[in-house]
Amino acid sequence: MSTENASQRSQQATGNTFVGDVWVNYKRWMIKSVRNPFILTGSLLQPVIFLVLFTQVFGQVATSAIGGNGPAISYETYLVPAIAVQTALAAAAASGIGLVNDIEEGMFDKILVSPMSRTGVFLGKSLAEISRIVAQIVIIIGLGWLLGARYATGIPGIVGILIIGIIFSLWFTAFSNIVALVTRDQESTIIGANILQFPLLFVSSAFLPLSVMPGWIQTVAMFNPITYGVDAARALTLGEDVMTVIEVTRFGGIWDTLVPALTILVVLDIVLVGAAVVMLNRAAKSAVQ
Amino acid sequence: MAEYAIDVDGLELTYSDGTQAVRDVDLQVPEGELFGFLGPNGAGKTTTIKVLSTLLRPSAGSVRVNGFDVVGEPRKVRQTIGYMAQETSIDNDLTARENIRFACEAYGVPRSERADRIDELLELADLADVADKRANDFSGGMKKRLDAATALVHRPPLVFLDEPTTGLDPAARNRLWEYFERINEEGTTIVLTTQYLEEADQLCDRISVIHDGEIVVTGSPEALKREVGGEVLDVELTEDGTDAERARDAVASTDAVDRSAIDVTDDGLSITSPRAREIGTDVLLALRDADIPVLGFNVRSPTLDDVFLAVTGEHVDDVEDIDDGSDPVEVSR
Repeated sequence: MSTENASQRSQQATGNTFVGDVWVNYKRWMIKSVRNPFILTGSLLQPVIFLVLFTQVFGQVATSAIGGNGPAISYETYLVPAIAVQTALAAAAASGIGLVNDIEEGMFDKILVSPMSRTGVFLGKSLAEISRIVAQIVIIIGLGWLLGARYATGIPGIVGILIIGIIFSLWFTAFSNIVALVTRDQESTIIGANILQFPLLFVSSAFLPLSVMPGWIQTVAMFNPITYGVDAARALTLGEDVMTVIEVTRFGGIWDTLVPALTILVVLDIVLVGAAVVMLNRAAKSAVQ
Repeated sequence: MAEYAIDVDGLELTYSDGTQAVRDVDLQVPEGELFGFLGPNGAGKTTTIKVLSTLLRPSAGSVRVNGFDVVGEPRKVRQTIGYMAQETSIDNDLTARENIRFACEAYGVPRSERADRIDELLELADLADVADKRANDFSGGMKKRLDAATALVHRPPLVFLDEPTTGLDPAARNRLWEYFERINEEGTTIVLTTQYLEEADQLCDRISVIHDGEIVVTGSPEALKREVGGEVLDVELTEDGTDAERARDAVASTDAVDRSAIDVTDDGLSITSPRAREIGTDVLLALRDADIPVLGFNVRSPTLDDVFLAVTGEHVDDVEDIDDGSDPVEVSR
């Protein structure tokens, strides 16, 4: 009741350092992602099924389609970078679902009334998602190797694929969070972020070379970010320039794919992550005149 | 620290869709008080609490909580308050222990104190047996108690409880209230909103009646009930209340009581008067002369509902009081 007592009590909640805030939220989201069966099956099982089924079902046919120039490439090797990108895509879609869950469960407000730094909160959540993406891509690459995929650029190339997976995931993470903030509804977010994944994957260079696809798909693929993510990862897998939507010859070898693809992805990341950060800030300030 | 836990001057809040949820609220709550906002749904209770807990930015006015300005120093405010939202807010994927631990970490409870604090709160919330089970499997009451525990991890000097017991069974409500009363006795200021009139009456040192975004009256429950002016004479007529309007005319014509003191209720009349005991005979005679049968007749002390009726002209109609003492209190003075 006394003033002294009150101030003494309040000193027990000094809050954390910024790093502490990031860590607290990182831990929470890591626990959640391991526990939540939807996230695990949705973002890992599906790509694994794709990898196994596609290579087994289409392997024979597809190998002739991809074997245009140079030495023969197995479809396993061709497909692993696409599945790695799909994994990143699925994990990114789950990010918005996590946010909308927090809004619906009241955890969003609960965190906003705590002294934690908002930036730290979202950074912690994002780092947990990135950890998951890295772990899942590692699993896909290992599984691919068991199925017969070979990685031309070795360990540095595999690390490169992980980095591409992270860079690729950011724009879609931002997108799914924007959908979450706009709809504030779990089902809409799942639909908005999840349903979009499959058409986007198919109208890209993910599963087959664009040269064997109809003209309209080649046109759409040029504006589809997945093409750039897959091409970049594939350039590292095959050790050659694989990009066909934009012809660049200035850098030589795989860099003719990596430089333009990563430039496009980074610009896309900056635009969408920027938009998501603005919207999150606004949501945190809430709907007051 | 501040003289007042809460010091609000001229608070206004308009939502971006133009709804004016709070208009010109002035309020001072001294430290250590158990203070209640009373009012129907949509009156502005939750909005006010959200401004006080920094979730909403005031459109106008000055709001100081624990001596800190909610706009200028929100982080200082957040460090010194606990907040329990109207909707139960816990992470269903985490266990009870993990939920409380997350709150401890979010508020920076020192590592050395965490384990003890978590055990203490689990005990208090009566969740020690299920501490390592996921909250998803908990009943509504268990989740609510867990939510309360997470709001108290940092022993805040001021706690906001937005309808903390709505939806709980009476036993669970009582247990939660025992705890809130205990921390209040230990010095914690508590500000709550409730639709349960009895709850407010029994627990709060002072209450403010909020209606239409404005505080219409503030005072201790006793003082407010005294201000209603006298006692209340309830007359039960027919079940469907068909004769009520006619009965009101009949009673008003007796000169025993002013027409404005007579309220038509669901099943009859409610007459508020300082002479409620003396006018009984006049009222009954007037009703007999008008050929209106009387089924029941009772003089009682005013309740907070009468206060609410007197200051707003409406009942707290949203109240769905379960079973605890909404019966009229027999007068024994």
